[in-house]
Amino acid sequence: MSIYQSKNINNSTLQHSPMSEFLVSIFLVFLSSSVPSRKENSSRCPLRVLRAAGGKRLFICHLNRTQMFVQMDIRVDRDGTQIHSRSLLVELVFLLDPPANVTVSSTGQQGQLNVSWVPPPLKYMDDSMMYEVSYTTADSDVGQVEVARACSELILRGLQPGTKYKVRVRVKLDGISYSGYWSAWSDPVFMETLPAELDLLIVSLTLIISLVLTGLSLAILLSHRRFLVKKIWPTIPTPDSKFQGLFTVYGGNFQEWLGRTNGGLWLTPAFFTPEECPSPLEVLSEFSLCPSLASPPLPPKASKALTRSRKEEMDVRKGLDEREPLERVDAALTEGWRTTTHDQWLLDRLRAFHRNPMPSSQSSLLESQDAYVTLNANNRNEDEHLDDILEETLPLEVLFASRKTVLCESHSDLGSVQQSSGSGRLSSQSSFEYPNHMWMPKGPGYTYMAVADSGVSMDYSPMSRVEDIGKVVIYANEYRNEIPAHGRPFPSRQHLVSGDG
Amino acid sequence: MIFNVNFFSFVSVTAGLLALLLILLEWTRPGLPSPLRPICDLRVLNHFIKEARDAEVAMKSCREGCSLSESVTVPQTRVEFDVWEKKNALEQAKEVQSGLWLLQQALNLLRTSVTNTALHSHIDNSIRNLLSINAVLRSLNIQEYTPPASAAGLEGTWSVSSAADLLQVHVNFLRGKVRLLLLDAQACQQDVS
Repeated sequence: MSIYQSKNINNSTLQHSPMSEFLVSIFLVFLSSSVPSRKENSSRCPLRVLRAAGGKRLFICHLNRTQMFVQMDIRVDRDGTQIHSRSLLVELVFLLDPPANVTVSSTGQQGQLNVSWVPPPLKYMDDSMMYEVSYTTADSDVGQVEVARACSELILRGLQPGTKYKVRVRVKLDGISYSGYWSAWSDPVFMETLPAELDLLIVSLTLIISLVLTGLSLAILLSHRRFLVKKIWPTIPTPDSKFQGLFTVYGGNFQEWLGRTNGGLWLTPAFFTPEECPSPLEVLSEFSLCPSLASPPLPPKASKALTRSRKEEMDVRKGLDEREPLERVDAALTEGWRTTTHDQWLLDRLRAFHRNPMPSSQSSLLESQDAYVTLNANNRNEDEHLDDILEETLPLEVLFASRKTVLCESHSDLGSVQQSSGSGRLSSQSSFEYPNHMWMPKGPGYTYMAVADSGVSMDYSPMSRVEDIGKVVIYANEYRNEIPAHGRPFPSRQHLVSGDG
Repeated sequence: MIFNVNFFSFVSVTAGLLALLLILLEWTRPGLPSPLRPICDLRVLNHFIKEARDAEVAMKSCREGCSLSESVTVPQTRVEFDVWEKKNALEQAKEVQSGLWLLQQALNLLRTSVTNTALHSHIDNSIRNLLSINAVLRSLNIQEYTPPASAAGLEGTWSVSSAADLLQVHVNFLRGKVRLLLLDAQACQQDVS
């Protein structure tokens, strides 16, 4: 026979005399079927007092015969007078003992625990029982609760690995057939979950993804390394390249450097900046006026300088070996200035000149039978020259092809101009001479090719004939972009070249 | 070619005869119903109990138009476990079935007595559920109950005069005796073991 505890119905009335025991009896009256009489089938039940926490007292009465599914009227009498009465159904007020033998074990999987218990030994009520499993970590107060119905074990999932858990169970009847109150919590059981283990899949995936990302970033960095290098380590321009030896040899002493190099290195900086817009060149051929003086061979830089563009006049030194520099000059003058027969003639003139030493005077220079071409980009100068310009026909004509665009092209491009054919042709037909007072030679040893550029026309001509030296005056001719079929008659040795006008 | 025709005709005739035979067998199948699968899940009964409880609660909140016209005979719902266990299965089944029959009569009377339309659905549900419980009992191979000629004088009965008492008896009967009978049913015991 199971034990039923009757709760103390009303505490307050029984507490005003705490020291004495009360003879309290409970009259249990069961609803009778035949006659709804209060006294019939009633039985008395002696009470037992049990002290509880908080000064409360529990009066306990054991029922011999428990009749369920029928209304039970309870009456509490004290000293013959009724103090309490209540009607209830016994199967609806169950308070069970907590589950016994709560055991917690590991299921073998991460974050899981298996909780099992023994349900209260009540017949016919096993499937009406409802359980609550409370599990909490040892440090936190708030626990989670899992509900289990009509079964005596439960698997807890979603637990933290490697932590200690406190597990408790309590029971209640589900309230359909039988009902009641929650039992007390069972004694807590402590159990530790399996320690965390590295998931192989996650680790491998993480490694692969990190490798892929590193590879991608490296590839991007490498593809843009030039850009990055420019941004992070920008090149600070230094003038070392322009001034060779200025810092290395002379330690920054500019004057020394200037003195040593004699300005000849002016050529080199310009060489490395070919993008400067070329302007008409002044091509001077240099050779020593005195026979003893052997003019140094023309440095190769001179030829290159011809193609270089400068706004001011530039001198080109030529050596005694006229042919070669001339050729270089020819090659350099990619306007297409060709002097095929002119070379030979010029060489002859040079030799003639050497045989006849020239006085170092302007007039002698001018009277030299050397051809000279000067390119003067200064229009102002040309205007002056135009006054003295006379027309002349020369045995040797220098025709060249030039392109306007060539003037502004770099050195490297000038060489390719020869192959291009422009729409027009230009030619110069005659040479000219500076009058003596207008020509200022750079110094002895130079032969000049004087060119007057009026801005519209450019004339290149050598001082072609000895006999013409005296009478030749400088003049300018038209700079025409056409076949020189009309206009001034061309000498026989003129070469038509084509070029853009 | 003739052989093919003969073979084909033979096959077709055989198939037709076979089909005809199957149809005949199906038609002339003995009319006895096949045994019902035992309903051992108590959730069915729990559902009935819940609906009966809803009806009782609804009746308690009813003020008017919800009274029995006359007293009805209802079964006793009292259960003492040791007393119940002493009875054999037949007695238990008889007790449950007679009680169900009495309740059906009482609820039919209640249905006609109550004028409150809100209660009509509850009472109809309860009547329907009682019939379903009879079907459940039938599935458990429990013999059909042959009702007596009159309800008066049956042992183990008493009468109630209020609708609330009637519905309370109804709920208690389902929760107690009916449930115990289904719980201990022999057909279900074999499945469990």
